[in-house]
Amino acid sequence: MTIQSTRAGARDTRARTGSPGPRARRPLRQHPALIALAFLAPALVALIVLRLAPAAVALWDSLFRTSLLGGTQFVGAGNYLDLATNPDFQNAVGVTLLFTILINPLQVATAFLLAVLYTRRAAGSKLWRSLVILPIAVPPAVSAVIWSVIYRPDGLANAFLDLFGIPAQPFLTSPQQSLASIMVLLSWIGVGYWMMFLIAGINDIPGSYYEAASLDGASGWRQLWTITFPLVRRPLAFVLVADTVSNLLVFAPVQILTKGGPEGSTNLLMYDIFTRAYTLGDLNTAQAEVVILVLITIAIVAVQFRLLKSED
Amino acid sequence: MKRSHLLLAAAAAGALVLSGCSSASESASTSGTVNLLGPEDPATFAPVIEAFEADHPDITIEYTQVPFDQYSNTLQQRLGAEDDSIDVYAVDQPNLSQLAAQGFLEDLSDLEDEARAATSAAQFDINVYDGRMWALSIWNSTQMLFFNRDALAAAGVEAPSVAPAERWTWEQIVDAGRATQDAGMEYGLLFEQVEAYYQLQPLAESLGGGSGITGDEMLTVDVTDDGWQEAMDWYADTFESGLSPRGVGGFQTSPVFMDGDVTFFVGGPWDVGRFASDVDFDWGVAPMPYFEGGEVATPTGSWSWGINTASKNADAARKFLEFAALDAAGNLATTEATTIIPANSEAAAEYLPGLEALGGEHTVGVADLVTYEVENTAVARPVSVGYVQFESAMNRAFADIRNGSPVASRLDQATTQIEDAWSKLR
Repeated sequence: MTIQSTRAGARDTRARTGSPGPRARRPLRQHPALIALAFLAPALVALIVLRLAPAAVALWDSLFRTSLLGGTQFVGAGNYLDLATNPDFQNAVGVTLLFTILINPLQVATAFLLAVLYTRRAAGSKLWRSLVILPIAVPPAVSAVIWSVIYRPDGLANAFLDLFGIPAQPFLTSPQQSLASIMVLLSWIGVGYWMMFLIAGINDIPGSYYEAASLDGASGWRQLWTITFPLVRRPLAFVLVADTVSNLLVFAPVQILTKGGPEGSTNLLMYDIFTRAYTLGDLNTAQAEVVILVLITIAIVAVQFRLLKSED
Repeated sequence: MKRSHLLLAAAAAGALVLSGCSSASESASTSGTVNLLGPEDPATFAPVIEAFEADHPDITIEYTQVPFDQYSNTLQQRLGAEDDSIDVYAVDQPNLSQLAAQGFLEDLSDLEDEARAATSAAQFDINVYDGRMWALSIWNSTQMLFFNRDALAAAGVEAPSVAPAERWTWEQIVDAGRATQDAGMEYGLLFEQVEAYYQLQPLAESLGGGSGITGDEMLTVDVTDDGWQEAMDWYADTFESGLSPRGVGGFQTSPVFMDGDVTFFVGGPWDVGRFASDVDFDWGVAPMPYFEGGEVATPTGSWSWGINTASKNADAARKFLEFAALDAAGNLATTEATTIIPANSEAAAEYLPGLEALGGEHTVGVADLVTYEVENTAVARPVSVGYVQFESAMNRAFADIRNGSPVASRLDQATTQIEDAWSKLR
């Protein structure tokens, strides 16, 4: 805002030192803030209508309870207290945190390593790169259906394991393996996407740095850690934050493959919100859960920003 | 997307025309436009609409489709806003009491006698909540046992008969299924809707476990009694023992039968047409089994239609509804474009021979079987304002039990989940 008014002010001075403009224009020129506001209006309106208002509605609704037989009443923090003591919700928070802690480092690390690999001048690296990116073109729902066939007891995955003499695994039907199975499928979709950002970052690093390092006798490993890694910190930070947020909002594979089961082992918060709102018909408590999910997201992202900053 | 916009626009325009008509004169109340809302493809209801409009040139029916996934949600939003651009709408039968309790359904109790005469007892009862009738049944359903005759022959097992008097028990099914597995069959038994209350309720009912909902208000959960426990122990064992496959989702079950990988398959009338055209081995149909010494119980229920309390053209809407449900020709027209049993008994009598013919030699006797089940063994899903929450918690429990969760504690957990969800209803 300050920058904008200063710029507008500068233009004003220029106008005054030159020939005076027509009188009619003066009132507007005297209110540069209004002009700025007019230009900003579409963005601001969109921000309010599409972001702030729904958030406010969610927050407001979460303070009420609408019952089928009893009407609507104000319950204050009642829905939040209910959630705090609800075993399904507690489980969903636990599963979501475990999922977040495991999948994000895994995906970012894989994306980074693949990005390093595919920026090397090796035969066919562009072809391999394209193949890794390809799953993005498949809608998440379709990927989920494909993987449901792969994970079936008589499916591709078990046939593959059988080649190596490994006994058949239960995958999605076992509470111990289902979350990991979902992570594998999400990584299959996601890693290629995040890799693209990192490839762009790596390609921006001037080749002379590596040449200089080679002359100094630095090994490939050393170059990776002292040149590549620090210089892709910015895209890496973006990938980490964006990946975390997208993984907190995972829904389609859970809905299609496991419906949160077995025994709630894949009941991520986003799916729990959906069932609460649209299956159980308890919109108010679902809104409270949305507010909690947003707070968790903000907290995790804030921690990530802080960690990245302290390394600077 | 565009099409639904168009339909919405048409519905809105219809509402405008309608309000214009009703304000113009009172006598015009059995004319104008009646808006029908449902989850089916528009082609499904084109025949009934055409037949009705031919009889009633003053009334136009506008059908709007809302896909099934969003249907109940959309209904809640639009009916809650007293949207008068819906006159007649399809009611998923288990949701009826909830819609009636919310005041979204017109009381149709004055049609009780006609409704009772037109359909089966189970299909009549399902529209009654709180002593009054809120909707009319349009469609009905039942379940039957499909079997792979070749697999049974290979194992030297005699195939079950289609006659209800010679109905097999689940114990027989398990033995025969295992015998075919020993003879090289992949699996012995599979339910089409492996994790759905609709198909699994009869297991508990057969062992005296009841529907799972009791009490005067029908808001007391009871899924931990001996009947439920025993039924679910049996169900869990079919998967534990490898008789049924784990990990095959609800939408992948019928291909398992069609590929010839399972001997017995519990499915619906809609499978008859599918199997008739796509199955290349010898198959047959038998009545849905029961537990030895237990009751015979089969699933039933489908869609009813009701009238929106906010409708501005209720008289014309009622005419259309009566035509589609109580008039045999009208009801039969609703099944012209799809494989589903008409709820109207007279229409069903005309419809079922066609269904039987569809399967040729494989389905001889199916018409009589369906008629027998609908009239004698059908047990409807419980009528409760909390049915939706109940069903969703039970379906999750079935899925877990299938995958090996301990039955007793999982049923306890379902009870807690349902009670918790129901506490929000009051």
